[in-house]
Amino acid sequence: MNYLNFALRLTIWLLLTADFGLVNLAIGILVSLLLPQGRGGVATLRQWLSTLGKVVMAVPRAYIEAIEMIVRPHRHEAIIREPVDPTRAPGLIFLDIFTITFTPKTIVLHYNEEGWFEVHQLVERRPEK
Amino acid sequence: MTAFLVIMLLILGIPLYAAWKGEHIWSKMLAFASIATKAAIMILLVSVQRDDWMIGIVGIIILSVGNGA
Amino acid sequence: MILQWLSNACISFGLFLWLWGTWPLVGRRSPLYKLHFLSVSDTLGSMAIMIGVLLRIPREWPLLVLALISLALWNTILGYVLAYCSQGEDSDG
Repeated sequence: MNYLNFALRLTIWLLLTADFGLVNLAIGILVSLLLPQGRGGVATLRQWLSTLGKVVMAVPRAYIEAIEMIVRPHRHEAIIREPVDPTRAPGLIFLDIFTITFTPKTIVLHYNEEGWFEVHQLVERRPEK
Repeated sequence: MTAFLVIMLLILGIPLYAAWKGEHIWSKMLAFASIATKAAIMILLVSVQRDDWMIGIVGIIILSVGNGA
Repeated sequence: MILQWLSNACISFGLFLWLWGTWPLVGRRSPLYKLHFLSVSDTLGSMAIMIGVLLRIPREWPLLVLALISLALWNTILGYVLAYCSQGEDSDG
């Protein structure tokens, strides 16, 4: 069972219906179990939790980066490569891309199956070549 | 509240101008994406100002089915 | 009363981010450069405004939280897609 999928479906159901009663909760659990499951690699609960933790931490970091960009102008661009484990589950890679792109200074340009992201970055000083 | 909405309308003019003038196709796309998000948020604020949650629901639906796309 | 004040502060901060992040759109920089600023204004600024709205009408929190999450998700994905597309065009031409 894919934890993230299940949690995501149940959360959307509960928020959408805005009813936390027992019957509605049961319907939500049933629907999220019965909806077709996607294929994909399995990941351990520990991996999910650590990635989700990073996603949550990305929110305050994004605001800090935004304030940094306002206080000190970042005028130069750079492209860096970031290694990533190619055997990670697709859902986790999606969350990685989300975390990087969500913070305003960095945007993922391209994900290569061989195991790296191409990350576009906004920097303060001109990068040396 | 009305002051907020007026400021929002003024800010909304910037991407409109960029979309009208932009010569690069992807700059134009960026401007349109920006307009979509800003308009959806404005709908929410209008609903708060008029105290009519039915308008707000429209905004929520626009935001959750994928604005801009 | 404090909630009202806090809500106004959140919306004002969001509007400031909107203005600051949208302004580079009229400049003559690459789309990728503008995209960084749009992620400040449209994702972070709009989230701040939404939190301001949430403080004003807390009774509607389930739908507002849903909108908040989907706002962050869609804007980020859109940013990724636009970055990918605009880069592909550059390497072709």
